Amino acid sequence: MSCRRLKSWIEDRYDVDGIVELSRHKLVPVHSREIWYYTGGIVLFLFAVQFLTGMALAFYYIPYFEKAHGSIIEIVTKLNMGWFFRSLHHWGAQAAIFVMFVHVFATLLLKSYRKPRELLWISGFCLLVVSIFFGLSGYFLLWDERAFAAVRVATGGAGNLPLFGGFIKAFLRGGIDVTGETLVRFYAFHVSVLPILTLAIVGFHILLVQHHGMSVPISQTGKSKEVPFFPNILYKDLMIWLVVLGVVVTLATLLPPDIAKKADPLAPPPEGVKPEWYFLFLFQTLKLFPGKLAGMNGETIAIVLISLAVLFFFLLPFFDRQSGRGNKSPLFTAIGIAYLLYFVVMTIVGYLT
Amino acid sequence: MKIDYSLVTRRTFLNTLLSGWLASFAFGSFYSLYRFAFPTLGKEPDFVVLNPDDFLAIPTNSTKPFAWGGKVGLFFKKADSRMVALKGVCSHMECNITYKPEDRKFYCPCHKGWFDEEGRNVAGPPPKPLEFFDYRVEDKKLIVYRKGVKVELPKA
Repeated sequence: MSCRRLKSWIEDRYDVDGIVELSRHKLVPVHSREIWYYTGGIVLFLFAVQFLTGMALAFYYIPYFEKAHGSIIEIVTKLNMGWFFRSLHHWGAQAAIFVMFVHVFATLLLKSYRKPRELLWISGFCLLVVSIFFGLSGYFLLWDERAFAAVRVATGGAGNLPLFGGFIKAFLRGGIDVTGETLVRFYAFHVSVLPILTLAIVGFHILLVQHHGMSVPISQTGKSKEVPFFPNILYKDLMIWLVVLGVVVTLATLLPPDIAKKADPLAPPPEGVKPEWYFLFLFQTLKLFPGKLAGMNGETIAIVLISLAVLFFFLLPFFDRQSGRGNKSPLFTAIGIAYLLYFVVMTIVGYLT
Repeated sequence: MKIDYSLVTRRTFLNTLLSGWLASFAFGSFYSLYRFAFPTLGKEPDFVVLNPDDFLAIPTNSTKPFAWGGKVGLFFKKADSRMVALKGVCSHMECNITYKPEDRKFYCPCHKGWFDEEGRNVAGPPPKPLEFFDYRVEDKKLIVYRKGVKVELPKA
């Protein structure tokens, strides 16, 4: 079948011109804060990279505690391009979470969450939580001593939540301790539960973006003009994705991630053990609290305070009434900056100490 | 008395039937999935049986690990040769602790918690002391047990 015949075959059945016409009407505002729009696209692109490299790794990874660590070493040392896919999966994950944080804080400070886009904020927040859990579960699959300690602390920390804590902890661990059963469970989360959740939430998130269009920051209203998405913005997206691909591939090639010693449930964790960078602010917060505070367990107080701060962050669009009416809302700018500063400073302090 | 029309229309009947069916199906699936996903929890052991030759002769001011269920237990011979058994798990975030002979203290590397030789939480975030076990030697068996638990070994 020639190309022309194929085209007319499709056009006979589907309204292609209608779709093309529709896409011509997709307009995107352009203004001086436009650069932050691209962070969402970068995350989408990195998700695609993660899905592809992850599928490749799943061909060889063995989710069983006696074999897991060795199977990754096999992937890295014996398979064609194994080192590359494993390294790219690692750096793709780091980059995705980093850019996602940039995206969240840009949304926060530009107040793009304001009415009518509250559900975009909510779904984006859910994606961030899913991604962090992606990170934790993926990292645990290494089954090395660092990951083992991190997962004990993270699941144990969840156990300190009031009411549901014990339930969540047992659900995550698949038992009372972190064991080989936890590994199987985390594998199931990492390769089936979380990817499907991600696809669903990303779909919803993008659908909402199409419905509402891009948010124009309050300071830029009236100052922006609109350009068509096809091809102007798409070309810019593709250019940026090319640069991002270059960056992650370079990192993957030059800085392959370490594999620490195989996990041993009876051995103490290595000296100076630290979680992944996106947990450092939590890690550092936990270290701040003494064992006993005003007669109560300091750890429980820390976990409850962290949960409240996260809950407030999650529901922020509903508290910020001013920006919802299109007014400036300096209080929430200050709150946003406070969150950002806390995150950045605690991450740096955690990294350096 | 005969009424001219039914109080329950065909539409209401079908709506009730079908939504009821869907709701019970959803609840049943969710509940059974929840029961399946939630593990049957084991529990920590009340006692473990070890070989005394492996543990009683360790050097002073040192520890030797043993398996306490899925967690680590430590046999600890103090500098004055007194021996104790304890759970080698930090009371803060459940990381395994390690003994530092030079400081004569237990140390948790996760969040820098310190315990003295008696297991008291002396520095860092740990909220509680370490948990100690009792032990005794019986018929060439070293039995380590939770304090206050009566151990009856099955007769071989």
